[in-house]
Amino acid sequence: MTKRLAYSLLVMACLATPIVAQQDEAALKKDLTAVIALQGKPCGEVVSVTVLKQNDYGATCKDGNKYHVYENAQGRVIVDKQ
Amino acid sequence: MRRYSAVIVLMVLSIGCMHDKKPETQPPPVATTPETATPQPAKSAPATGTKTPSTAKAKPAATSPAKPAAGQPAKATASSPAKPATASAKKPAPTATAKTTTPPKAAAAPTLDLDGLEARLKQTKAIGLMTKLSLKNQVDDLLGKFRKHYAGNATPTMTELRRSYDLLMMKVLSLLQDHDQQLASDILSSRERIWGLLADPTKFAALQA
Repeated sequence: MTKRLAYSLLVMACLATPIVAQQDEAALKKDLTAVIALQGKPCGEVVSVTVLKQNDYGATCKDGNKYHVYENAQGRVIVDKQ
Repeated sequence: MRRYSAVIVLMVLSIGCMHDKKPETQPPPVATTPETATPQPAKSAPATGTKTPSTAKAKPAATSPAKPAAGQPAKATASSPAKPATASAKKPAPTATAKTTTPPKAAAAPTLDLDGLEARLKQTKAIGLMTKLSLKNQVDDLLGKFRKHYAGNATPTMTELRRSYDLLMMKVLSLLQDHDQQLASDILSSRERIWGLLADPTKFAALQA
């Protein structure tokens, strides 16, 4: 009985993880879209994100533009077109 | 069989709990309603006892952002008697009642100072971390422009500073309005008060200290 319960919990965890990850990624895309827009750079919407480091991302926009969005040593958010 | 169905129910329930966070929908701004409601009875006939407080409410509401700041009773009292004088010169006594009724009104209006705004913006989940950092950079840049202006530089004029301030406020509001309406409305109602802090060199110097 406990084995089965553990198994079902494991299955649930496996199913739940991608959903949580998807939500996180969607929030990150939205965040980066806002950051790029705040800097006045053309983008439209971020469609894919690559996490390079903490607070360091590669973002690809719907219009094809690619940006390197990161926080520099002075605490400023920099958006560099690639 | 029962166990399987129990597992399936559990799975469905757990997945059901993992929806996207719904926006923090809160009641629409209430700060603006008294201002829009009060001017209406102002034009109707006498009934001096009830009407005068309402006119008093409407007019100081516009000046209220600057009032609770540090100590500007002189400014507020100067503006409030001036307006009744233009509207009707017949009631000098109601201005005294107006003065007594305005402080609770100003206290009721949700206004934020810069520290309060910073804290609320830090807390809100409507804006992502990078956006918050980016906004903070822009706020710092604007404060730097104010410092330049007060240091005697002619380049950022007060008009330019006001434009930059309004643009920054618009950015913040556009980020907040869908997911944290309460904060958006609080910022909106504190907008002039915060500008009052920035535009006054002495208050600005006190902020920087």
